[in-house]
Amino acid sequence: MRLSRGVAVVGAGMTRFHHKVHSDKTSRELFVEAGIEAMDSVDNGIELDDIGALFVGNFSSDVFEKQTHTAALMADWFGLTPKASTRVEDACASSGVAVNLGVLAVASGAYDAVMVGGVEKMRTLGTEEVTDTLAMAADGVYEVGAGFTFPGLYAALATAHFARYGSSWEQLAVITIKNHHNGALNPKAHFQSEVMDTAVRLGERHGMTFSDEMEFLRSRLNPVVAYPLRLFDCCPVSDGAAAIILAAEDVARKFTDAPVYIRGIGQASDSMALHDRPDLTTLKATRLAASQAYKMAGVDANDIDVADVHDCFTIAEVLATEDLGFFPKGEGGKAAMEGRTALDGDMPVNPDGGLKAKGHPVGATGAAMAYEMFLQLRGQAGKHQVDGAMIGLAQNVGASGGTVVVQVYGR
Amino acid sequence: MGGRLMVEMTIKAFNDFLGEKKIMGSRCRGCGAVHLPPRPICPECGGREPTWVQLKGTGVVQAYTVITVPLTRLKESSPYAVGVVKLEEGPSISGTILGVKDGEEIAVGSKVKAEFVKEDERTVLCFRPI
Repeated sequence: MRLSRGVAVVGAGMTRFHHKVHSDKTSRELFVEAGIEAMDSVDNGIELDDIGALFVGNFSSDVFEKQTHTAALMADWFGLTPKASTRVEDACASSGVAVNLGVLAVASGAYDAVMVGGVEKMRTLGTEEVTDTLAMAADGVYEVGAGFTFPGLYAALATAHFARYGSSWEQLAVITIKNHHNGALNPKAHFQSEVMDTAVRLGERHGMTFSDEMEFLRSRLNPVVAYPLRLFDCCPVSDGAAAIILAAEDVARKFTDAPVYIRGIGQASDSMALHDRPDLTTLKATRLAASQAYKMAGVDANDIDVADVHDCFTIAEVLATEDLGFFPKGEGGKAAMEGRTALDGDMPVNPDGGLKAKGHPVGATGAAMAYEMFLQLRGQAGKHQVDGAMIGLAQNVGASGGTVVVQVYGR
Repeated sequence: MGGRLMVEMTIKAFNDFLGEKKIMGSRCRGCGAVHLPPRPICPECGGREPTWVQLKGTGVVQAYTVITVPLTRLKESSPYAVGVVKLEEGPSISGTILGVKDGEEIAVGSKVKAEFVKEDERTVLCFRPI
């Protein structure tokens, strides 16, 4: 498939992702904050009248805020009425899918420019209720009914991967350390501290000292959430929003001299339940979505300079870097250990800290990945800039891989 | 698409069979694929005329975890193990793995056997290492 009309990102914004700094805000305030930043980032300026429609990714304002009809609410508070507004819910891939729908809407000729955003206010609930709510994205009858939590599904994928390939939790811990390092360089990240800094701080509180990160990560201060995954293998529960502005190639230059083009998009589904998949060491939908996006972009995995992948749990980054073709199957963890996915590695992954350190307000994540690619490919990512990034990739996963969406971006 | 669906391949029917200590899946009349839980439409060939097939309930652990941050409903049982079990006949299913409190007690490949556990009104399919 090729787009019949080219599409580019001409502006992007996001709130910081965090659990405390937004305690007085609801979804609408978060979305407005991200949207204003996106509008203001357009180099030559843009007016609300230029925006033809709004697509909003949101997982569950229904449960978190007792509020549905989220897209109309965001359009209303952003001053976009009476433009068409559409909510997209595909679990953790909600706003990644919204990006693709926005691209298709512009490519079709229906609109010259659209806004795509994502928002989630999660910290209205405590950890147990959040656990229950996230589990709603799995098969409620046959997986959650059997006792699976959401971290539990990824933990199970980890045991299958470890058993098949001899990969290990130590490899996952390296991803934790790497993503926290990147998060420490990103002013929008939830966690902006190195794992070692956290180890020292928590150690002081508990009268413990650690010689290095691994000793801390193996300690009781990093408890098991779902064997073999520990607390630091899991992304935090965050509030936040992100928004981008997409414009048709033929009008993009009116808004900016440095648009970031959508080179390829892909999306695939897979069975909801892990038990219906023949292979539990891979997310098939990632492979399918990536192959569509690569084909449309006319690139392959070797051409990607920087990638944001869906590391809701550290094992997910291993699966992603293998399934996207960055490394051979079974070698994602090894590649991380060799530093290849670090900011200065040959295949930098999650320079913004990933979901692990940046945070994961579920419905906002896909749009936040687009925001990161906008910064990276324009050389505006500050301390977490990947030098000379020209082609970027974002991979956003819904739940345990029932939905995967991929975008390839280029200058 | 015309024709009728096998409406009896429901969650309720599956659960009712569990109450009789039977694990019932569906077999596609078209391609012979066996599915558990049962499905009205065969994802392999699109066939819409499945028949019931009973599975023995012995298999191996394909993937698993031991959960220490549980669902609210299962707070009292934490920590508990849950896994994907590949049954001898081919299909896999998720289930609690009874008697396991630590991830090192079992492994991928461990043999397990089905047990039918009463939980309130319903019967839940669980497994126990053998």
